[in-house]
Amino acid sequence: MTRSAIFRRNLLILLTGLVIWLALGLFVSNPYYKLLLTTVPIWAVLAISWNVFSGYSGLVSFGHAAFFGLGAFIVGVSFKFFDLTPWLGIPLATILGALAGAAIGYPTFRLRGTYFALAMLAYPLAMIAIFEWLGFQELSMPMKRDNPAAYAQFSDYRAYLMMSLSLLAIAAFVSLRIERSRFGLSLLAIKQNELAAEAAGIDTFRWKLKAIILSAALASTAGALYSIVVLVITPASVFGMVISAQAMILTLFGGAGTVWGPLIGSAILVPLSETLNAELGHILPGIQGLVYGTAIMAVILIAPEGLYWRVVDHLQRRKLAPMANQITNEIVHTQSAKIQRIATSATDKPILSVKNISKSYGGLRAVRDVSFDIPEGGIIGIIGPNGAGKTTLFNLLNGIVRPDAGNVTFDGQDMTGLAPNRVCRRGMGRTFQVVRAFPRMSILENVAVGAFVAYTTDEEAWEAARESLDNVGLASVADVPAGRLTSRELRLMELARALAGRPKLILLDEPLAGLGAGETQEMIEIVRRLPTLGVTVVMIEHTMHAMVNMVDSFIVLDHGALLTSGLPQVVTRDARVIEAYLGRKWAVANAQN
Amino acid sequence: MKIKAALLSATAFLGLTALSAPAMAQSEVKIGLIQPLSGPWARSGEMSKRGAEMAVDDINAAGGIKACGGAKVKLVVVDGGDSPEKMKNAAQRLVSQDSDVVGGIGANVSSFTLAVTEVTERAGVPWMTLSFSPVVTDRGFKHVFQTSMTGDKQAEATVPTVLKMAEAAGAKPKTFGIVMDNTASPVAFTKDMRVPGAMDKYGLKLVVDETFTPPLADAGPVMQRVRAARPDFIFLLPTVVSDIKLSLEKATEIGLTRGRMQMIESGGPPGSPDLLKIAGKEQLEGLMFVTANWPTKNTLDLANRFTKLTGEPWMPQDSISNYGHVMIFKEAMEQAGACTKEKVSETLHKIDLKDGAAKLFPGGRVRFDEKGRRIDADIVVVQWRDGVPLLVYPAEVAALPAKWAKP
Repeated sequence: MTRSAIFRRNLLILLTGLVIWLALGLFVSNPYYKLLLTTVPIWAVLAISWNVFSGYSGLVSFGHAAFFGLGAFIVGVSFKFFDLTPWLGIPLATILGALAGAAIGYPTFRLRGTYFALAMLAYPLAMIAIFEWLGFQELSMPMKRDNPAAYAQFSDYRAYLMMSLSLLAIAAFVSLRIERSRFGLSLLAIKQNELAAEAAGIDTFRWKLKAIILSAALASTAGALYSIVVLVITPASVFGMVISAQAMILTLFGGAGTVWGPLIGSAILVPLSETLNAELGHILPGIQGLVYGTAIMAVILIAPEGLYWRVVDHLQRRKLAPMANQITNEIVHTQSAKIQRIATSATDKPILSVKNISKSYGGLRAVRDVSFDIPEGGIIGIIGPNGAGKTTLFNLLNGIVRPDAGNVTFDGQDMTGLAPNRVCRRGMGRTFQVVRAFPRMSILENVAVGAFVAYTTDEEAWEAARESLDNVGLASVADVPAGRLTSRELRLMELARALAGRPKLILLDEPLAGLGAGETQEMIEIVRRLPTLGVTVVMIEHTMHAMVNMVDSFIVLDHGALLTSGLPQVVTRDARVIEAYLGRKWAVANAQN
Repeated sequence: MKIKAALLSATAFLGLTALSAPAMAQSEVKIGLIQPLSGPWARSGEMSKRGAEMAVDDINAAGGIKACGGAKVKLVVVDGGDSPEKMKNAAQRLVSQDSDVVGGIGANVSSFTLAVTEVTERAGVPWMTLSFSPVVTDRGFKHVFQTSMTGDKQAEATVPTVLKMAEAAGAKPKTFGIVMDNTASPVAFTKDMRVPGAMDKYGLKLVVDETFTPPLADAGPVMQRVRAARPDFIFLLPTVVSDIKLSLEKATEIGLTRGRMQMIESGGPPGSPDLLKIAGKEQLEGLMFVTANWPTKNTLDLANRFTKLTGEPWMPQDSISNYGHVMIFKEAMEQAGACTKEKVSETLHKIDLKDGAAKLFPGGRVRFDEKGRRIDADIVVVQWRDGVPLLVYPAEVAALPAKWAKP
């Protein structure tokens, strides 16, 4: 199935679900059940909003109640004190919610991991204090007896049901659009490894900010709708920990990182909790919480990633088992057919020029005054003993670390001090020592993340991703989730991802690590082909004998300084190199030979 | 599946009885009760429920509602949980599944009452509550009745009430102090006391004013400043039970409790058995609190029956008020001569009780103004005496005379 076909199919499933829900609401006559049918979509929107941010980007927000409550209070205050109809109050809440997202996201993104999660926790708590201080201990929406519809007040819940379902339709549609687009894939890449995402050309800060703005706008709108359905709000009831937790629980129960998760979670848990309240609350007060909690724990134990992924895994295992062998055979076959030994094509023109670059960490001078040129179309190996500063040098080249002194000129432009994603956009790709795959995404999607950098339209990017997979021989497994690949395939996939961004130069950090002998040979052949595709290669590798057959020349680092550079045959016989690697005794012995 | 089947058959059964009801004499009258029976306010909800249940038993034992052929009263209990949203769901459930309720009571916490009444008002169900917030009866609703004095009026009435009571106890306070946290209710309660010159008419001067953010880490500095200022009495208004305890402990340490300095609290927590457990009766001795309802000497019998029946140490405000609410509904039905929500609501607007149920509320009279507020609502003063909080003001119904601290 093509991508747009998948999108259309998902849209159809979604619309069918919404229509069934609406039909249920129109059919049921008991207003209590109608109220329940109305609140479920509101919670689903809050859960989707959490998922759009935390589910995709992996930055856990414990504080989505901040946005939800803000929306509720914007409508409450504007309605009660300024007589503004909620029909205008709700869009106002959406806009102010988005602004709040930016205002909260901008400073908080400086923090990472647990620190970010904890900082997010503080916002709703602060909001409770602020709103209580402002004197809004409880806010009740005025009852409009004349022309209630103008103030979004209806005697029949079906009107509210249609409002909440419309909002849900919008939220789910937005989420579906994001899910496998440039936006969603960039966030997923950030979730897996922010540094790798940066290196793949993703402006992580901008995407995160976009995500939190969108998410906050959705949460705030959900809160606004909540306030006109429930009619009474207090700071604790809309900013409370329970609200933030609700957003998380509904999503994680259903499955994070997919639009279906929040929908499944809300459709099951909200009615379950309410039914427990109704059936058990007056018999044994409090037992409902216990039953609810136990049910959630049981499901999480069986399906730790949520119900949706559990089902998907189950279906895929059945589908993929017979295919596995076939896939592997195919890969081996295509590769041996395609890859031939190609002569090197290094030119004299330098594509990358490094001048007197230095970096110190306190007293440790990791890189000292290093200068070299990389000729366009060449394959250059950077070698040196452990701690020689090889990876630091890479980090300096692609912007992860800012140099203390010196400059880097790439393709005629000064790149010194640019952010990694900018460096990547100018045409310098990179792979990492440890492969960073996005296991839930297909191989094609993994590679597409790298392609988005170089192409403005998504269609071109997908095309480039396919082509890139073809270049490394993984075309036949394009739709397999990356979590099912072998380490060799993962290495190839990562290479394809870096190539998909159309780099002029690629930095390979130990591309042979973890590969067997046969696999190493394969990889060597693929790397040797890269100059013919217009890609200059700079690589770090420990496996010396493999390097000798691969590179045009070596750059040798020792203790952060450039020791020597030159042709492989010359460098490997250089006494200083041998000494650096093996010690003075060996160097002397070798010289005597 | 089983639950679903049971639900279906239950609904079918209810439908049948509803259809056949007009043919028979009414044998049952339903009164709804929505209270927070789970969550942080469960204790208050439970106390309310017990008071209401006792009233229902008393009515049924005495022959039910005579105006409706001796119909028995049935209390439909619904747990409203711990948020306005759950309260609203609960109310919707009540009016949908028991659409024949003639009235209802609940839900103590004012934001909960607000949410519940949003539903009951639209369903035309008369609703009675002890919540203080003036908003409850400021929305132009036609079927909501508030038996407590509203919070703003309570704050106004406190100082004159305290002075009258002091006078009856033979004291003439000239200075006072405030120790409180910065949460909403003490802030609202003391707002007018701080207006310069506002206390002049009472001949009172504010000499020490301490506000802190809960929880209180160390009550030492605060209480030391109180001791240095030596006011004739202080309003001690922390809302968190543990902060009340800390303040009392520090006060004891520096010799301010045990009848040395009069301390007056406000609201519900000061009268809770939990406070007795953690603070101990010695420290609480003589401490007073102002509240909206408490058993009087006339209702001590009722209070004693309540403690015997429930095993609770005394009958608190929630229990007596909700006992009273059920009794007012009974009177309304008897006077209306009918057991429908329309008639009950109509009657409540013109009812004027001076006896019976009226004796269960301060002011001793039950009639409501056009907003649904009880006209004669007043506050009472309760004092801890030997580990039991007893009504000491108004003097005519006091369980025993107030004892003002002597420095």
